[in-house]
Amino acid sequence: MIPLENFLLLSAALFAIGFYGVLARRSAILILMSVELMLAAVSINLVAFAAYLDADGLTGMIFAIFVITVAAAEVGLALGIVLRLYRERRTANVDAADELKW
Amino acid sequence: MGMEQVWLLPAIPAALFVVVALFGRLIPRQGDWLVILGMAATLVIGAVVILDFQSFVVGGVFEPGGENHYAFAWAAVGDALAIDFSTHVDAITVVMITVVTVVTLMVMVYSVGYMHGEARYGWYFALLSFFTAAMLLLVVSGNLLQLYLAWEGVGLASYLLIGFYWERQSAAEAAKKAFITTRVGDVGLLIGIILLWRASGTFDIQEIIALAQAGGFDETYLTVAMLFLFAGAAGKSAQFPLHVWLPDAMEGPTPVSALIHAATMVVAGVYLVARMLPVFDTVLVARDVVLYVGLVTALLAATMGLVSNDIKRVLAYSTVSQLGFMFVALGAGSVTAAMFHLFTHAFFKSLLFLGSGSVIHATGRQHVEYLGGLWRKMPVTGWTFLVGGLALAGIAPLAGFWSKDEILYESLAHGSTAVFVTLAATAALTALYTTRLVVLTFFGQPRDQAAYEHAHESPRIMTGPLLVLAVLAAVAGVVAFDGVGELLGFAGGIGYVVFTVKGHAFAFHPDIAATATVSALLAIAVGLVYWWGTAERAARARAWAPEIHRLLVNRYYLDDLYQATIDRVVLGAAGVVAWVDDRIVNRAGVDGGAQGIGYAGLRLKFLQTGRIPNYALAMALGIITLALVAFGTS
Amino acid sequence: MRRLPLPSQFDRIIITGGVVAGLALAPLLLVLLVLLAVDEITAPEFIFWLVAAVVVGGALGTVLLPNIVYAALSLVATLLGVAGVYLLLGSEFLALAQVLIYGGGVVILLLFGLMLTNATDDPVVSDGSQKPFAAMVGLLLAGVIVAAAYDATWGVNEVAASSLRAFGEQLFGDYMVPFIIIAVLLDIALTGAYVNARRERATAGDEETSP
Repeated sequence: MIPLENFLLLSAALFAIGFYGVLARRSAILILMSVELMLAAVSINLVAFAAYLDADGLTGMIFAIFVITVAAAEVGLALGIVLRLYRERRTANVDAADELKW
Repeated sequence: MGMEQVWLLPAIPAALFVVVALFGRLIPRQGDWLVILGMAATLVIGAVVILDFQSFVVGGVFEPGGENHYAFAWAAVGDALAIDFSTHVDAITVVMITVVTVVTLMVMVYSVGYMHGEARYGWYFALLSFFTAAMLLLVVSGNLLQLYLAWEGVGLASYLLIGFYWERQSAAEAAKKAFITTRVGDVGLLIGIILLWRASGTFDIQEIIALAQAGGFDETYLTVAMLFLFAGAAGKSAQFPLHVWLPDAMEGPTPVSALIHAATMVVAGVYLVARMLPVFDTVLVARDVVLYVGLVTALLAATMGLVSNDIKRVLAYSTVSQLGFMFVALGAGSVTAAMFHLFTHAFFKSLLFLGSGSVIHATGRQHVEYLGGLWRKMPVTGWTFLVGGLALAGIAPLAGFWSKDEILYESLAHGSTAVFVTLAATAALTALYTTRLVVLTFFGQPRDQAAYEHAHESPRIMTGPLLVLAVLAAVAGVVAFDGVGELLGFAGGIGYVVFTVKGHAFAFHPDIAATATVSALLAIAVGLVYWWGTAERAARARAWAPEIHRLLVNRYYLDDLYQATIDRVVLGAAGVVAWVDDRIVNRAGVDGGAQGIGYAGLRLKFLQTGRIPNYALAMALGIITLALVAFGTS
Repeated sequence: MRRLPLPSQFDRIIITGGVVAGLALAPLLLVLLVLLAVDEITAPEFIFWLVAAVVVGGALGTVLLPNIVYAALSLVATLLGVAGVYLLLGSEFLALAQVLIYGGGVVILLLFGLMLTNATDDPVVSDGSQKPFAAMVGLLLAGVIVAAAYDATWGVNEVAASSLRAFGEQLFGDYMVPFIIIAVLLDIALTGAYVNARRERATAGDEETSP
């Protein structure tokens, strides 16, 4: 049997890599992809905890389903925003949107 | 109903103050009748309290059995400090309740006539009610902090009433002077209270007394604390060197002078020292200070009263002098004599003030240069004023005679011969200036014909209180005799019960009485010789020693000294402080801080790049820090 | 300037990627086989490490590769690997949903986004200037999470394959209200995406002044 910690380790790695992507990438699309990685890491955590700690092991899976659904919605909406940004600035780089300052 | 309900005494006037001050305009006659009725009710309740107190007197000694002290929690600071709101009734309280309620009621009735048609008539009565509330709270207080609250309350009332005619520059200044001068003493009182609390852990007066009697204080420490306490008493009771405010306080309406600056508030200091006398008894140095301050004050004030030409000012100096007498009695260790004199003095001095008010009301003048010969025009005022004057001079069998005799006896028995001689001489001076005042006001030729023509007897609402007070001034002294007390239904004699703190009995001393009477009669004779008719001899006496006269008229230059001190020292220090405030606190501190932050903002705003990944990075660092903190603390 | 690859070139990219990935995985596979042979690890663990290597490798590719298309394709590898993890955890339905929604829908959507924005010019992107800080924060974050995971003690049950019937009953029973809310959310997101992305009706003044 695989120890629970293995899954947590995997999830942590995935989350950290995704976070690095969010911070380091400049293209809005790539940042969205990195967010997907982080969401996947969270889902792994939920399902692993459900399988190992919950008696019927279902609640975590249902939440993972919800995460996947929300992620789909998020990608759709975010792509709309990216397209909007692209039309306004002729680029999908988030550096172009830098008006949130003094 | 009895001593447990003593809190009603301050509560009723306080409630009426709120009602009349807020809604006076809506009430017919601006609410004066409401205040007077409330005061009458307070008087009745006071009488009930006193009767209840009497019922606990066994064999001439008060045995409270825990029935005279009521408290409920007022404020608590953790376990370190618990302050009660408490009432305490004993012999001293009973005297004060009697004096305050009776004189206040008389003054209020008198004011209806005197203040008739004045602007702010309703506000005047509201203030009187406020003063009464504070004064009664002061006398029923069972602990020092509550007493201090009331103490400042009467000070505030005094300030507001002295400055009642604030449109007049001199009234506004006199109000300020009174408030600031008494404040000097009040700070001392506060320090004294804090010192006592620090050493004993309690504000309760009876507990402090018990602790002091058990030797629970360091003696030097206690001496210092009691001297601070006495500073407060000296400020409020206008004792040397803080006496300067009381003559100026005569700027207020005359009934106020009678009530606050003769009969009640100014005796608060006497009351405080009398209340704390068991503590003073354990530190005799402090008690001696009380005695000598009282003695100096009595003498100085009497000499100053001798040359003043303003009726009210003469009476004010007389008040200061008589308060000095009371402090001498306290310094000699006799609560009995001091409270007895306080009791009689309240009646005859308020009578004299109300009489002078009647004169001022009739002539519009209060300077003796414009008065004279009023006897025929104002018989009631004249007669009652004469009774008051004789009582003040100490002529038997009027009230002042008995109490002054008692004080003279105490000064000889527990002071020294020198003290006795000085005090007796002061008593003679008292008779002298009283004679001068009466003669210059009511006899001789009118010096201002217009004022004389205008003069008329005051309305009955004013002469009524005069007559009542005249009767009291005449007979108040005899309550000290056992027989009178028994006649009134007080077992053991009212004087014995009320004016006696365990162990001190009231007694009559023929030798001292004879000395005092002879010297007073002599002084009156001298006064008549000098001032009767054209006062030619008095003018010659002035010319003979102009320096002394100038010294007295200028009040020993004390006011000038204070003024110079304030100009040089206080204003100089204020200049330094102002410079520090302007340059260092204001420009360097406040402005500099603001400019520094503004400049920092100007530079640091570039930290805000507007790029969201930068913000996300900062947020991540914050989250990680929080996680590490949570990790570290779990 | 390199152009975005045409769909006909995708085959070549996928084959190249598969070969590269296979070569990268081969040493790991070897090591795991040896460990399995000497009974150091069990069979499920063997599979876990393989899947984990795919997931992490794909994720690294997603965030490190400069070419957007390569990054997107390695995201697909990661998401399929995550589906494998779900299988290991005994939830077949979730694995299926993951493949369908992510591997199918989401990635296609992302690729569409790429076509509509960067497609015309340069598929190679440069990263932001805070890259070193990002790496540091990523490592710190991983450290904190791993430390927390190993610090806690978990009362672990036996893993049992869950029944799809029970799952369905719970989803449409206890969690019906959240389910409906999620449905509404999807609806709103769809509308929002449309409103945001659509070209605004051109008016005479706007068309000339807009950049």
